[in-house]
Amino acid sequence: MTTTTLTLPRIFKRPKSETGIWSWIGTVDHKRIGTMYGIISFFWLLVGGFEALMIRAQLAQADSELVSAETYNQLFTMHGTTMVFLVVMPLSAAFFNWLIPLQIGARDVAFPRMNSLSLWLFLFGGLVVNAGWLTGEAPNGGWFGYAPNSGIAFNPGHGMTYWALGLSILGIASIAAGLNFIVTIFNMRAPGMSLFKMPVFTWMTLITSILLVLAIPVIGVALIQIGTDRLYDTNFYNSLKGGDPVLWQHMFWLFGHPEVYILILPAMGIVSEVLPTFARKPLFGYDFVIFSGIGIAFMGWFVWSHHMFTVGLGPAANSAFAISTMAIAIPTGVKILNWMATLVRGSIKLNVAMLFSISFIAMFTIGGLSGVMHASAPTDAQQQDTYFVVAHFHYVLFGGAMMAIFSGTYFWWPKMTGWMLNERIGMVMWFTILLGFNMQFAPMHWLGMDGMPRRIFTYSSDQGWESLNAIASAGGLVIAIGILLFIFNVFYSRKKRVMAGNDPWDARTLEWSIPSPPPHYNFETIPQVQHRDDFWYQKYPELLEHEEGHAPSGAQEDLHLEAPSGGSDDDHGHGIHLPDMSYYPLLVSLGVTLGLAGLMAGLWLTVIGAVIGLWGVFGWSLEPVNDPTPGADH
Amino acid sequence: MLFNLLPRIRRRQLLLTLIPAAAAFIAACGTGNPQDTFETAGPVAERQASLFMFIFWIAVVVFVLVEGGIIFITLKYRRKSDSEMPKQTHGNTRLEITWTIIPALIIVAIAIPTIKTLWDLKAPPADEPSMTIEAIGHQWWFEFRYPGEEIITANELRVPVGTNVIVKLESQDVIHSFWVPQLFGKVDMVPTRVNQLWFRADEPGSFYGQCAEFCGISHGLMRFRVIAEPQEQYEAWVASMSRPPVTPVVGSAEERGQTVFNNNCTSCHTANSYRAGGYAQAISTQDGLWSGWVKATQDGDVPSVVSAPNLTHFGTRTTLAAGIRELNKTTLVEWIRDPSSMKPGTRMQELAAVYQAKGDHTANLEPSQVSDLADYLLSLVPVEADAVPTPVAGDPVEIGKAAFASAGCSGCHSTGSDTRTGPGLAGIATRAETRVPGLSADQYIGESIRDPGKFVVDGFSPVMPKFDGVLSNAEIDGLIAYLKTLN
Repeated sequence: MTTTTLTLPRIFKRPKSETGIWSWIGTVDHKRIGTMYGIISFFWLLVGGFEALMIRAQLAQADSELVSAETYNQLFTMHGTTMVFLVVMPLSAAFFNWLIPLQIGARDVAFPRMNSLSLWLFLFGGLVVNAGWLTGEAPNGGWFGYAPNSGIAFNPGHGMTYWALGLSILGIASIAAGLNFIVTIFNMRAPGMSLFKMPVFTWMTLITSILLVLAIPVIGVALIQIGTDRLYDTNFYNSLKGGDPVLWQHMFWLFGHPEVYILILPAMGIVSEVLPTFARKPLFGYDFVIFSGIGIAFMGWFVWSHHMFTVGLGPAANSAFAISTMAIAIPTGVKILNWMATLVRGSIKLNVAMLFSISFIAMFTIGGLSGVMHASAPTDAQQQDTYFVVAHFHYVLFGGAMMAIFSGTYFWWPKMTGWMLNERIGMVMWFTILLGFNMQFAPMHWLGMDGMPRRIFTYSSDQGWESLNAIASAGGLVIAIGILLFIFNVFYSRKKRVMAGNDPWDARTLEWSIPSPPPHYNFETIPQVQHRDDFWYQKYPELLEHEEGHAPSGAQEDLHLEAPSGGSDDDHGHGIHLPDMSYYPLLVSLGVTLGLAGLMAGLWLTVIGAVIGLWGVFGWSLEPVNDPTPGADH
Repeated sequence: MLFNLLPRIRRRQLLLTLIPAAAAFIAACGTGNPQDTFETAGPVAERQASLFMFIFWIAVVVFVLVEGGIIFITLKYRRKSDSEMPKQTHGNTRLEITWTIIPALIIVAIAIPTIKTLWDLKAPPADEPSMTIEAIGHQWWFEFRYPGEEIITANELRVPVGTNVIVKLESQDVIHSFWVPQLFGKVDMVPTRVNQLWFRADEPGSFYGQCAEFCGISHGLMRFRVIAEPQEQYEAWVASMSRPPVTPVVGSAEERGQTVFNNNCTSCHTANSYRAGGYAQAISTQDGLWSGWVKATQDGDVPSVVSAPNLTHFGTRTTLAAGIRELNKTTLVEWIRDPSSMKPGTRMQELAAVYQAKGDHTANLEPSQVSDLADYLLSLVPVEADAVPTPVAGDPVEIGKAAFASAGCSGCHSTGSDTRTGPGLAGIATRAETRVPGLSADQYIGESIRDPGKFVVDGFSPVMPKFDGVLSNAEIDGLIAYLKTLN
């Protein structure tokens, strides 16, 4: 049986465009997919940031009536949902996509079309979650969707249904992406790159991907349950009919805590690349940083109930989860000390990427310290669901993840575009962001200890929270200026076009050995890797000789397969086989989205979705990776 | 370009790090605000705050070392020349082991008092006397039941100073969280389960409490007070809660207001739980109203009743609408007229018939009626102990008439033939004779009051509470006699 006998009638011609919109829609190139992840999630960053500004505007004074209670609840629900699922996660995915093949010396990811599927599902899932803004019924039950308040009895309308369906779609995207990067990292490393010669960012991507594949299904199940509760009157979490609202919390946080590490491990990876580059020293304690990452990811599964210290699980459960939570501070502390030790006796160049990375350590430490306070369950009884917690996780997610993402953006921008971002504007941006961030979130520690609960749409002047809230709101504006400076910097630098060359930072890993921006096929010749930070030692072989008798662990030969398994070719630069473009991932993701949206909108839409989805799946499975096009350079 | 920026960056960095450090010291002092967790007024909050301070000072040390270290290292090892190449160090296992053990020891130091405090605060000391209260979360108010004292009230929890109070926490709808920062850290009120906390107020005062778990549209407006009073004052309050309110003067605004109340509010609100048996009746009514709401919601109907704050001796309260306003005539009139202007999403406005007639969902009452109603509610304060009226003796019809008003019958039943939540009672004497074969009219009416679930008239929901044991036999006989006079 040959594929030709099975080929369905082709409605589309296989996309071949190399420029224009169709070249982006049909692309399976990891770099283009990474760029699209970046652009779409930056758009959502602006949306989520606007929501944050609205929240801060409302809270800037007591008894404010700027927005209604309902609108406020929608704003904070969507701010949280957007920043977690549509900003930090996909911004990390943008870096995964761009960097993993480049860092491991591959020409693409293992499953390029599945990669494209992840992108389109991410796009559509984000649109579904936000669809409620257009119909006036944006989700309003909190990003955590606690039952039974998120159930249909107490929350009629479509808001939380958009939320459940949209997050389900995003979940599929994340699982597919996670699988893709696990397989890519395990199978497609350049010859010689054993696991312990991988760049730390690749390591953190691997760990994050494993977490994605394990954690997302947990919330997937919970979302299906809450979705059917809302759509079909099932009673998983409907306490009026005996459903268990606490079960939702267990499900949500069993996903939710590993999710925290899904958000922060890529950031730790970025920082672990930036600090050694601009200190001109290898990462201190590479193995300890890696194993700390693995340890954090593993221990992250045993701490979920610290989100539930006040639910009434009893002192035995609270003791256990207090101890497990505190224990996570140990590998986290090890990482922080290793980053600091990397800087010690280094040659530190304080450019924008480096300043953001150093700020990451400084701010993340504060978030870590308040985290240990939360871990102490009796103390947490006063902090749970207050602004102290809001301060804590913004120090981790903004002071941590976003600082690292800004750092990574300034660091890899020249590689991705070929031109440099302006350093002077970047410095001003860094200072603005750091100042605004601390203005906005530091006062929240005091607000929380002063008894201000989270998620309240207003407060009264007799509660005494006005001045600190006003400072926090002003801080929000300062952050907004910082973000505008970034946008300005992009357009300004694009006009100036200071070209980067292959290796503007005197950096360490393989992506800097190829042109900026990299050619479609990345590596003309698949590199042979001998060392950790291989490119660095190619540039400075004399440093290696210094280290005779002090070989870094992982530098010795090991049993790793020498032959690259995919994406490589021996025809240097000529006839490199890259997968052809395809429309089918887009069709499948459109089908999935319409099919799920139809559960809410009407069966007709589900039928249309199913037809499109099945068409996409058949077309996909029958489409050869490469068309045997006559006339190709073969 | 970069290097001429450096001195400025150094100053800024130092400044930025000093701000949180300086502010951290301020945190150690209380702000004097009413929900300040450091201004503790009882042993539970005190233990929680001192544990916090213990961890806080450890954190301050770590903070200063790490942040100071970052700044110091960053400034000291700045690149001086682009050609310099530092020594390439890869790590140091001894160092790694050291800085794994040190945080581990810090964690142990924090974990031990954590676990000890956790178990110590599980329950009040067994050798000290304690009282038990039930607190029930509702969207968006708190109900308080004193099973020992047979008192039911809302949004203001009165407790004696110096007594350990155990609070059983429940919710009738979504998850709420019960929190008085100056007295105790929060514990959630979870539907389908009963949680528990305890506290003790060591000084008198009115302590602010607030719901701490997002519970729907007006979560931000779900507050309450704990009013701690010296023992004698508390006991006087307990005693006063079983005395009747001052009787409105004939022809007064209060009396007119009482009529407005009886005609429009008593389907959900009770104001007479001071009576003997009133507590059991109020609880049965309250839970019945909630079941009615649940059933109607599950059936896809629009419910017309829901559990509502008990208004017995409402005039003694200090706040309105779950602690969000001072209670006075102005705020009360505003609340009655248009509750959602004060608290969006209020069930009262969503369900009660009196709010459904007008297009803008304000109360379908004349301004004078609203004013009278407010006057009546504010007049609900217990009479002085020496002024308790003696029970009416003699004419059973008079006893029954009084019971009809005070037991809240008039909230659901008209004395004419129009239908409210329950059937109109005019002509009940004739109908009752034929309703159930073998039962006389007296027997039928009596049974229908004692255990209404037995004979529900077609077309009505079984929402009426049992009055068996709630009303005395004399009152039930009186009611029978009174109802038979209605034509």
